[in-house]
Amino acid sequence: MDIECSRLLPSVCAVLVDPKQFVADDTCLEKLLDWFKTVTEAESSLLVLQENPCLTELLFHVVKLQDVNSNILSFTLRLAGIFAAHENSFQYLQQGEVLLSLFSEAGPLSRPAWEDPSVRSGWIQGVGSMVQHERAVQFLCDCGAIDVIFSLQGDPSLFVASTASQLLVHILGFTMHSRRAVPLTTQDCDWPVCARMIVGHIEESLRSGTVPQITQALNVLTTLFGRCHESWTEVLWMRMNPFVGSLLEKEPLLAAHSLVDLFLSMARPQTLRTKAFNILLQPLACVLQAASQPTGSPGLLDESLNDSVITDILLSSKSSCAGLLCQTLAHLEELQPMSHLLIDWPHVPLLSAVMTILRFCSGLATPASSVGDRLCGILIGCFRVQRSALDFLGTLSQGPSPSELIRGVVEILLVYLKSPDSSPTVLKKAFQATLKWLLSLSKTSTSSDLCPQTQHFLRDLFPILQKRLCSPCWEVRDSALEFLTQLTKHWGGRAGFRQALLSSEVPELAEDLLRDPESYVRASAVTAMGQLSSRGLCSNPIGTGSKNDEKKSLFLELLEILSTDSEGFPRRAVIQVFTEWLREGHTDVSKDKEQFVTKVLQVVSCDLDWEVRVQGLELALVFLVQTLGQHETECPYAVEMSSVTQSTQLTESLQMLCHMKLFDFIFSALCDCDRPVARKSCDILLYLKAKLAHHGSLQGSGEACTESLGTQNTAWLETTLRKWKARDQGQPSEVADRGDCQEPDDVLEVLRSVDLEGLRGTLAKSSDHIEKSPQSLLQDMLATVGILEENEADCY
Amino acid sequence: MPEIKVTPLGAGQDVGRSCILVSIAGKNVMLDCGMHMGYNDDRRFPDFSYITQNGRLTDFLDCVIISHFHLDHCGALPYFSEMVGYDGPIYMTHPTKAICPILLEDYRKITVDKKGETNFFTSQMIKDCMKKVVAVHLHQTVQVDDELEIKAYYAGHVLGAAMFQIKVGSESAVYTGDYNMTPDRHLGAAWIDKCRPNLLITESTYATTIRDSKRCRERDFLKKVHETVERGGKVLIPVFALGRAQELCILLETFWERMNLKAPIYFSTGLTEKANHYYKLFITWTNQKIRKTFVQRNMFEFKHIKAFDRAFADNPGPMVVFATPGMLHAGQSLQIFRKWAGNEKNMVIMPGYCVQGTVGHKILSGQRKLEMEGRQILEVKMQVEYMSFSAHADAKGIMQLVRQAEPDNVLLVHGEAKKMEFLKQKIEQEFHVNCYMPANGETVTLLTHPNIPVGISLGLLKREMALGLLPDAKRPKLMHGTLIMKDNNFRLVSSEQALKELGLAEHQLRFTCRVHIHDTRKEQETVLRVYSHLKSVLKAHSVQHLPDGSVMVESILIQATAHSEDPGTKVLLVSWTYQDEELGSYLTSLLKKGLPQAPS
Repeated sequence: MDIECSRLLPSVCAVLVDPKQFVADDTCLEKLLDWFKTVTEAESSLLVLQENPCLTELLFHVVKLQDVNSNILSFTLRLAGIFAAHENSFQYLQQGEVLLSLFSEAGPLSRPAWEDPSVRSGWIQGVGSMVQHERAVQFLCDCGAIDVIFSLQGDPSLFVASTASQLLVHILGFTMHSRRAVPLTTQDCDWPVCARMIVGHIEESLRSGTVPQITQALNVLTTLFGRCHESWTEVLWMRMNPFVGSLLEKEPLLAAHSLVDLFLSMARPQTLRTKAFNILLQPLACVLQAASQPTGSPGLLDESLNDSVITDILLSSKSSCAGLLCQTLAHLEELQPMSHLLIDWPHVPLLSAVMTILRFCSGLATPASSVGDRLCGILIGCFRVQRSALDFLGTLSQGPSPSELIRGVVEILLVYLKSPDSSPTVLKKAFQATLKWLLSLSKTSTSSDLCPQTQHFLRDLFPILQKRLCSPCWEVRDSALEFLTQLTKHWGGRAGFRQALLSSEVPELAEDLLRDPESYVRASAVTAMGQLSSRGLCSNPIGTGSKNDEKKSLFLELLEILSTDSEGFPRRAVIQVFTEWLREGHTDVSKDKEQFVTKVLQVVSCDLDWEVRVQGLELALVFLVQTLGQHETECPYAVEMSSVTQSTQLTESLQMLCHMKLFDFIFSALCDCDRPVARKSCDILLYLKAKLAHHGSLQGSGEACTESLGTQNTAWLETTLRKWKARDQGQPSEVADRGDCQEPDDVLEVLRSVDLEGLRGTLAKSSDHIEKSPQSLLQDMLATVGILEENEADCY
Repeated sequence: MPEIKVTPLGAGQDVGRSCILVSIAGKNVMLDCGMHMGYNDDRRFPDFSYITQNGRLTDFLDCVIISHFHLDHCGALPYFSEMVGYDGPIYMTHPTKAICPILLEDYRKITVDKKGETNFFTSQMIKDCMKKVVAVHLHQTVQVDDELEIKAYYAGHVLGAAMFQIKVGSESAVYTGDYNMTPDRHLGAAWIDKCRPNLLITESTYATTIRDSKRCRERDFLKKVHETVERGGKVLIPVFALGRAQELCILLETFWERMNLKAPIYFSTGLTEKANHYYKLFITWTNQKIRKTFVQRNMFEFKHIKAFDRAFADNPGPMVVFATPGMLHAGQSLQIFRKWAGNEKNMVIMPGYCVQGTVGHKILSGQRKLEMEGRQILEVKMQVEYMSFSAHADAKGIMQLVRQAEPDNVLLVHGEAKKMEFLKQKIEQEFHVNCYMPANGETVTLLTHPNIPVGISLGLLKREMALGLLPDAKRPKLMHGTLIMKDNNFRLVSSEQALKELGLAEHQLRFTCRVHIHDTRKEQETVLRVYSHLKSVLKAHSVQHLPDGSVMVESILIQATAHSEDPGTKVLLVSWTYQDEELGSYLTSLLKKGLPQAPS
């Protein structure tokens, strides 16, 4: 703990115990605890207690106070827990019996303050922190705290109840873990006292016959088996087995959901896993049966389905049907990536099932049974199931599917993409699933171009995409553009795709969307057009000299967006596209890189959006690296040009960069009030400095320069920039027209003078590192004392 | 018994961040998804793990409703939908949907500034989240699914703020979000119809305050700005992008115009155009005055307020600058503050609350020597003023809303426990309803007594009319009919129609009873005695002696037989239909008393 904090701490403690004072901001106490936690982890917690007696005094004082603010009491309990987590501090506090008076039944438990959930929460968190050593566990057993935890499992506060259950798991795990060496049997006498108490409580709860208690016990077991796989848990399961077994025999089944969760967390053996998986498959099997799949197609489950419970749930109401199907599909979606671990992952029947669901939902299915009829009525137009099914369908693109099924997938995807009834969210999922299937199809085809099936798909797809690009709903237009961008990114080079795209109106429509009323759509259109242009799929060359005079070139169009669009998103998209074009050497850009960069940065430098400016700096960096080369390597074997040639080149380059006003932009970015902009600029300047230093260009020419070497800050830079500006404005007009704000010498002076390394260090820190420091926190807590009345708690 | 359950995950006895779970007739709705700006880690978001223990959120929640665009109500939404994985529907009004991303982006920038921030959403996530949002109009009933419907009401507070009614069958709850019962410069007052919900969940920020008129605060604000500018000082007003900033802009613009002032007013980061755009787009959401004058002049096209350029901060002479962010976290407002703080002629006006960990918080708590980066100490000599322009209903306003909506129960959120306690008592006393104030994580369970709507057949009504009984709102009366449940609804119809509709045959139900009478005479004579007795007692009814020797009173049939074992006893068989149940039982009891002695 630093001295200043140590100095402030007693006053803060005095404020905390003074019932007449309030802590103005509810986050202060929380942050104070965070700090104590860090301090006690970093240095000896005992030393902290000894050197700051005000802390122990605080604990004692609060214990004695009868009418204490519940927030302060809660804070104190948690604070005591944080210190008691360390054995020596625990003993130190125990000597004064402060822990006993805080955590035993004689403590806050018997006071009216206990009614306040924040006090109970503080108590349980305090206990939770302390369980790091055997003595603490012993203490809790002796003082009756374990029983309190048991009762808190049923607390009206969700937070307290949940923490209590988790704490039991933690305590049990801790006690058993420390007795690892002793072989264990199910016999009570083998278990440590504390574990015996907890296990006994669980058994009792399971026997109780009351749902809340059974649920609590099952939840504890579920968390335990989910978290801990040590061998003693096997013995514990042997002990619990008869109790859980007898629960299963009860009619009606109590706490069914919690039982399922327990089995899922226990599902380590293969048989249980298979069983669980079969249960998961049942609703889908039921759907397949209802749709009367043509004979010969493999079913999902071997035994014929006669589980009326599943069917009943499916048919009882729309919401329960949708609920069950969505849940099933979501679980299966999670399992799919692990499908190789399941020996009998039924890929093909699952695909048929999900397609059947999608057909039911769109009214395409032809039900043969009464169950099918009913399902059809329930599922038709159900967006919730549509969304889940499309998600899962997309996931199933990862797997071997027979071609006749793929044809079906393609058909159903086209139905959803085409349907006027599809909601924007459903359409988005349909686009995502389509993309996944298309990409997986191209992966399987051996030739470099697309297979005929895919070609066919694309021919049907583009007219739909055209339609969706004209949707009245901006969400749909946006999803369509995102889809186009992704597809072009992956397939831009494939002839079949190019042909299908260029024979459609998609590129023109995408271009029209550059003027969309919704800024998100404009941004997506910019990205899409950027991608199309990169792949040469844009009818319009980006260079300034367009063949068609009436039609603006794409570059000019994007540049106009960058300079005039009132929203940030499209402008950010434009500068990203420009950077990408420069980086990949887009043919039209490469013709005159200098002019391109100059024009773009001229616009970017006055942009109000910080991300545009950061991206602008990225563009500048790409250009610098392309001009000056990568960072210098220290490789001793590298072939080097003579230093004279290099330094001449460098001087020329510098001259050119000055002429482009590149440094105007970079220097002013260094003074930017938005931290990421300043940081990026600082990184670029450090790169430049390293580059130039390597060639000795940074050696100062006069004494004045050496004096200020690397000591100046941004305030100096701002003044200097202003000075230069004034100087340039005073220049004869022809020089001013030339527009060079700086000469290479000016640039070198800045690089020499400004403490860039120091600046980088500062900028790397959080913008609020001073305000959020512990010292600042303590100062704030002291400063707010007494002013609460004046500035009543307020909000937005 | 049907019930409504409410569990606040945030805004339960605090004003940190709103997030309230409501379960109503089996439907689960999350009201608001706010963020706490006072934390830099996951604690800024509500702990969503409490919503379901193990299940998926999308399966559990039926929808999420966002009341307005303030971050303490919507700031956690992209995290919730794109990182925690909620994939269901989200509802908000059109202006909220349009403005939300701007504020989220605004805040995302602050977190990027705070290096080392993890677990925060990206721009793409904000967009993906907004694409899931279904925008609603005021007073439009939106069907979330077959059973759950929601409806938005005007809440004032900020552009697009709404209160939401959630209805499942006959059970309903209203969530107010933040609201304002008095109109201000640019917005109107909140309004709701007498919807009599089972539960009203209301904010209670100013639960114990009767706020002075906003006019006073406005005058005060203008006076301070004016004085500073007159003496050549500069005024800095840190604001968040949209909301209060626009209100203050209108205020200054009008004042500048009226007083013919020349000092420049600037607004940073191009937000004037944006604000202009949104207020124009959603002009129907502003107050009447703005709507009216809009025809001649757009209130948001300011003559005196210009875009700010970084270099202007160093210009000599007076000026007023609105700059973001609002709590002097970082960025432009902080940069200008640093430049101007040293001059006692200048002034900074904080128009809202500042969390701990910001420069705004420090200067509001009176600290005047601030540590800056690079171990520099900044001495704040400029004047520091705090003027809350937050637009919440005060105690009077809250009571007014309760009166307006007439709920069965009230639940207080978004306020401090002590103040809530006071208001709770007041509400319970005045309206005789239960009032709750759960802490975060605590569940309130209300039992409801649902009204089930029943349709009535025209035939049945016509029949009643034919009886000459015209309906009268003041005198409810009893009607008989058969209640049938068909096609998911209830109808009261005549029994004939019920039989017809349900395809059932009518059963005739007759009650029979044996009454023993001591009478040695022959059966026929006994019958005659019965006949004359009844004739004399039941004067209003038709009593007949039938040719077959039985007696009939309305539908009630009486026959006499001799007792098989005791010839001195006659057995009277009384039988009646269900319709004459009352008369039938009366008759039996009458006969049981025996017959009067025959005159000898």
